[in-house]
Amino acid sequence: MTHLLQVDHVTQQFGGLKAVSDVSMTVDAGELIALIGPNGAGKTTLFNMLTGVNTPTSGTITFTTAKGTMKVNGKRADQVAAAGMSRTFQNIRLFSDLTVLDNVRIAMTHRTRENFAETMLRLPSFYKKEQAITDEAKALLKDFGLERIGRSIAGELPYGEQRRVEIVRALATKPSLLFLDEPAAGMNPEETAALMALIKKIQADYDVTVILIEHDMALVMNLVQRIYVLDHGSLIAEGTPSEIRNNAEVVASYLGGAPVAEG
Amino acid sequence: MKRNIRANFIWLFIMVFGFVAIDAMEFTGIVNTFMENAFVTVGINIILAMGLNLIIGFTGQFSLGHAGFMAIGAYATGIMLQTMDSPIGFWLSVAVGVVIAIIAAIIIGVPTLRLRGDYLAIATMGASEIIRVVINNLKITNGPAGLFNIPQYATWPVVYVVMCITIIMIANFVHSRAGRAVMSVREDDIAAEAMGINTTKWKLAAFVFGAATAAVGGSLHASYIQTISPSEFGIMNSIAILIIVVLGGAGSLTGTVVAAVVLGIIDTVLQNFGTLRMVIYALALILLMVFKPGGLLGRWELSFKHVGKKGARAE
Repeated sequence: MTHLLQVDHVTQQFGGLKAVSDVSMTVDAGELIALIGPNGAGKTTLFNMLTGVNTPTSGTITFTTAKGTMKVNGKRADQVAAAGMSRTFQNIRLFSDLTVLDNVRIAMTHRTRENFAETMLRLPSFYKKEQAITDEAKALLKDFGLERIGRSIAGELPYGEQRRVEIVRALATKPSLLFLDEPAAGMNPEETAALMALIKKIQADYDVTVILIEHDMALVMNLVQRIYVLDHGSLIAEGTPSEIRNNAEVVASYLGGAPVAEG
Repeated sequence: MKRNIRANFIWLFIMVFGFVAIDAMEFTGIVNTFMENAFVTVGINIILAMGLNLIIGFTGQFSLGHAGFMAIGAYATGIMLQTMDSPIGFWLSVAVGVVIAIIAAIIIGVPTLRLRGDYLAIATMGASEIIRVVINNLKITNGPAGLFNIPQYATWPVVYVVMCITIIMIANFVHSRAGRAVMSVREDDIAAEAMGINTTKWKLAAFVFGAATAAVGGSLHASYIQTISPSEFGIMNSIAILIIVVLGGAGSLTGTVVAAVVLGIIDTVLQNFGTLRMVIYALALILLMVFKPGGLLGRWELSFKHVGKKGARAE
């Protein structure tokens, strides 16, 4: 069976530093996976390789969707995004001077076609296409309870809302695979609980496979199906939450002595 | 849909009204040659600054090479009108200028648009100087002496109509998928790429579009002033256009029009002050930058989308 994402022995070398070395992993459609590890373990570097921001020094990444199979190495990030991978960033990267609605509509750019003539002459077809994407963006915002802030400037929103807008914007690209880079960073327990509900909703309603980087172990252990543990650029363990919790190496390098409470 | 049509009609009405108003003033003799000259200069400045605002204000690419593309248009018109002295020849020369400017913009843009901020400014400035030096040394352009007696086809109605078309085209570009894409590049190019935006393509599109409008402005300038020389298209000219963009507010088309008009008025009023003019002009600029660093209008735009809709401003 072909996997949604197949990563074979990827390595990323920056000068003398091996940020990620010889990592292999597979992701199947519908899964919810976490990537954990201490700071500087190479988690974000791995994300950047998987989404086409950086090209791996060696190894291959293959992405297979209903639309076809794509070799991610050597592709630009926008081509990878158009093929169905989307992401959020560790430090929020919204288009902060634009409205929330425009943020979402920008993410639909690659799947709308407006030709030069209809844009310049404002033909009826132009207004029809604009209306269609505006309606779709609004429906998406409404589904996440953000419809009342559609006209707000994204950079002026409170932190928690910015995080949510960033996730909605990522969904607007119609991804089959969504990467969340520390979605719960800086959130209080209530916001984290809301975030967990949000991630479950995305999985259920939008048919999206999710991979997330997270340090909040309560969130990770309760939410995900499988965990990959990265340390010093290498994969040190892989398994279900309970397997990881009892893995001696992971406990020593990352989780620490005390077992993680189930909440 | 209805709202859009209504807004478009209001714009059309304003543009026709402006034309009729100037025509009436011209007819009744309120406008003398000196003032007409000021009008046309403002019109050409609007065309030039619109294109630069698209590159700097909306796409966030700091280009200082606008005068180079303007020179391409000016010389295309100057040279072609020597052998094709007719209105058709003039419009053909505008088209040729635009095509050459587009090709030049692609050649310059592909390598330089990888650079950011200051580096891009210096690279585009250099590219513009190359264009000027080439013109300075060619036989067909008559070297440093420049071209004289270029037939005058760019009268004020021609400049006015071309200005309106330029404004409409740039505004339509900005308020579309293309405009949103270039603004996302300005805001955060890494996030834009992750959202499936081909940043290189959109940066180049805006740069090429801006260069094309600069060439149109250059053509009009050449045919209205009737004399051109390479020294006119130096770095100071690029900066003069940049001042209009920054003064009006980078990222506001309305601001560009307002700034071009305001600077035109200041220029005309101060004409009588002789050398003191440049001092007052500079002082006005400094004061404005101190008290309104985002430009006169910031990113505000004049819009008629909500005219005729009672109460609710929501879309």
